[in-house]
Amino acid sequence: MSATSAVEQAEIRAMARELAARELAPRAAALDGGGRDVFEECWRLLVELGFDRVLLDERHEGAGLGIADLLAVVEELAVGEGGVAMCVLLCNAALGTLDDEQLAQVPAGARWAVLRAAPAEVSGVDGRLDGMVACALGAHGADGLVILLEVPQPAAWAIVAGAPGLTLEDDTAQMGLRAARAASIGIAGIESAPRAADAIGSVGIASAPGAMALLRAGTAAIARGISRCAYEKALDYAQARRQGGVAIIEHDAVSDMLAAMAVRLACPQRAVTDSSRIVIDQAQALAMKIAASDAAVASATDAVQVFGGTGYMVETGIEKVMRDAKYC
Amino acid sequence: MTSITAERPLSEQFPRLAADAGRLDVGELQRIRARARRFAKEHIRPRALEIDRRTGEEPAWFDWGLVRAGGEAGMLRLLIPRPAGGDGGMSTQAAVVMEELCVACPGIALIFGAHALGISPLLLGGPSQWDGVLAELIESEYTTEPQLMACALTEPEAGTDVEDPDLLRRARITSHARRVPGGFRLSGTKRFISNGSVARWITLLMPTDPRRPADTWTCFLLDTRSEGFAVSRVEHKMGQRACPAAELTFDEVFVPDERVVSREGDGAAATTIVLACSRPPVAAIATGIARGAYERVLGWLTEDPAANGLLQRQHVQLALAGMEEEIHLARQLYMDAASELDHTALGGVVSHPAVRALAHVPGSLRRRAPLRGWLASDRARDATIALLHRTTSDRAVTRSLALSSMAKAHGGDVAMRVTGTALDLVGLSAGPVRAELEKLWRDAKLTQIYEGTNQLNRLEVYRGLCRSETMSCLPPLRRIELDADAAARANGHGRPHLHTDEAEQPRVEGNGGRA
Repeated sequence: MSATSAVEQAEIRAMARELAARELAPRAAALDGGGRDVFEECWRLLVELGFDRVLLDERHEGAGLGIADLLAVVEELAVGEGGVAMCVLLCNAALGTLDDEQLAQVPAGARWAVLRAAPAEVSGVDGRLDGMVACALGAHGADGLVILLEVPQPAAWAIVAGAPGLTLEDDTAQMGLRAARAASIGIAGIESAPRAADAIGSVGIASAPGAMALLRAGTAAIARGISRCAYEKALDYAQARRQGGVAIIEHDAVSDMLAAMAVRLACPQRAVTDSSRIVIDQAQALAMKIAASDAAVASATDAVQVFGGTGYMVETGIEKVMRDAKYC
Repeated sequence: MTSITAERPLSEQFPRLAADAGRLDVGELQRIRARARRFAKEHIRPRALEIDRRTGEEPAWFDWGLVRAGGEAGMLRLLIPRPAGGDGGMSTQAAVVMEELCVACPGIALIFGAHALGISPLLLGGPSQWDGVLAELIESEYTTEPQLMACALTEPEAGTDVEDPDLLRRARITSHARRVPGGFRLSGTKRFISNGSVARWITLLMPTDPRRPADTWTCFLLDTRSEGFAVSRVEHKMGQRACPAAELTFDEVFVPDERVVSREGDGAAATTIVLACSRPPVAAIATGIARGAYERVLGWLTEDPAANGLLQRQHVQLALAGMEEEIHLARQLYMDAASELDHTALGGVVSHPAVRALAHVPGSLRRRAPLRGWLASDRARDATIALLHRTTSDRAVTRSLALSSMAKAHGGDVAMRVTGTALDLVGLSAGPVRAELEKLWRDAKLTQIYEGTNQLNRLEVYRGLCRSETMSCLPPLRRIELDADAAARANGHGRPHLHTDEAEQPRVEGNGGRA
């Protein structure tokens, strides 16, 4: 499969941007409040555009696009709503690890999620999975889960929702990205055939390390979308709000913060991918994730500061951006 | 698990307190700290998460049981002068208590902090205030319905503006206190008022001439049972939710002359002094939040198997050391600022022989007609201002305000850094401690905003310390020069007023007459 052209990628990006502005941003407060009907409505719209299967090809009713396209999509979606963007990323990363046979069992519109489990949390030995993972983003209500393990060797385990031995408990304390509703997952003796580290999913992602790199690069893209959201909201407010006889953007204390946000956005943070659509460098993906999430927290925190006391109130929506940023 | 630096005796941590030994009993301060720590541990922390969750769903919900428990623990009387039955504390006592309460929950602590802030302007009213509302507050502590106070400053179009005398001149003030016979009619809206929906009494500031807000900014003591007063909404906040932030509307609310705190037009100066007094406790709130996060993460790393040996990693050890360091320095800053205010800037007036002598007069005698009448007179108010001028100076208060502002801005940043680092250390899978840390992180953000944004506070540092400017912090000795009508001085009380006749001042409807 060939990578998309710059023109095609711009069109995809524009499509995601429009959806984020038209459908997600106006529903951000409801999604943050945990409205599942609202979320299902948004998911249906995303599925209609093929954003749940960006990486899959036509055989699996996918869009057949590359990782760079997926990163562009989740960044644009995150400008509208970070939690929904995270669900899109998790679903694509999860499905990307499955082989053709497994994908054939996944119905259209299904939402999967992927999570990494530490050795102390989950053990996978002799085809049997046991353990517990707290606060797995997007797990609540997911149709299937892919669990990434690093020991005894890197591997990805796919579990369909409702499998015997799988229990999910809603994480009611989740602070950010609340549209990607988290759950604590209990796994008791689930038998499954893990896909080894070098097993390649149908879209060419090496199952475990590839999915981890994709998650990190994707989280960086979401963090970047959140940074843009924070900047745009703060800029609008600073131009409208007056203090001391002038718009507050005229005060250095405010314009300095806005400039710092713009500088953070100007730094290149996109992943380098090759034509086979595999994130090239694991370390680069990790570095991108760290830099972008730090930038998002800094920009969102400054954005609340630009709003002052108003920004601390839920109704303005900017404090939600700050909470979402901390979860990246 | 308690921070070791927080366990040290106060006299050892802050040698400067010894210099104030004549007025401040360090042993008593130590006992107050222990009392606050016990109250926080027994009453606040066990309920913090549940109250945060509930007020997240119902912002107007309020836990009066905690207020009653706080009253029993002495948390409501800290700043009330001893002659009125209180502890006679100042900024130092309030700050020490705030740090302890905020380790457990800044939102619940803010109930008591906002109460103290509401009391603060009354302290500038001098002995005339001892036997009024302050005594009533003390009496209410012994009932099942303790009374709370609030201070209302912020307006919908003016937040930072109302906390700085220069910005106040150009602020878009929409409230208005209109002079009427026997008092004032208050109109307008105040916003984000902590305790606003639950306070029995509110000290609030409004201009008597909206065209000249800085010159006519005046402090009133409002009975919230007054006709025309309403709580128009309670905000849904990101954090510090246990203490409700309310929008208050005033529709021609009558306030009699005797409830003008200090004198008409003294409000800007009073605000400056109150902020110098209240910012160290706000810095202590931030320090307490940081300490709360540090103690929780240290406890988790030490005791929870889920931490999985993280404490053995050097980068975790370095992060913990950095937290302890920042908290220790933040505490030193706020204690230095509080000591500067209590000892240097305002110490002279509190320990002045005249004030001490009055404090020794039995309350029964003070409340009798001759002395009571004199204490409520304009002459007594002028004497209080004169005493301020004799015992302190604009420069001393400016410097004190700058130190308080430095402590507040630094503390807020420390709270954000430490809570953020704590969250990074525990990650998403840490279990119950994560919810507590996330709450503290949400709570911390407010400390960079309220009591003046950190940016405004740092500009105060620039003016007061970097440029050694001197602000007009003290009310003028006499306000006769502001008097627009000499005849007004003979209006019954002999008090000078900017406007004393309804006919002189056009009635302003609705928004209070934006200039």
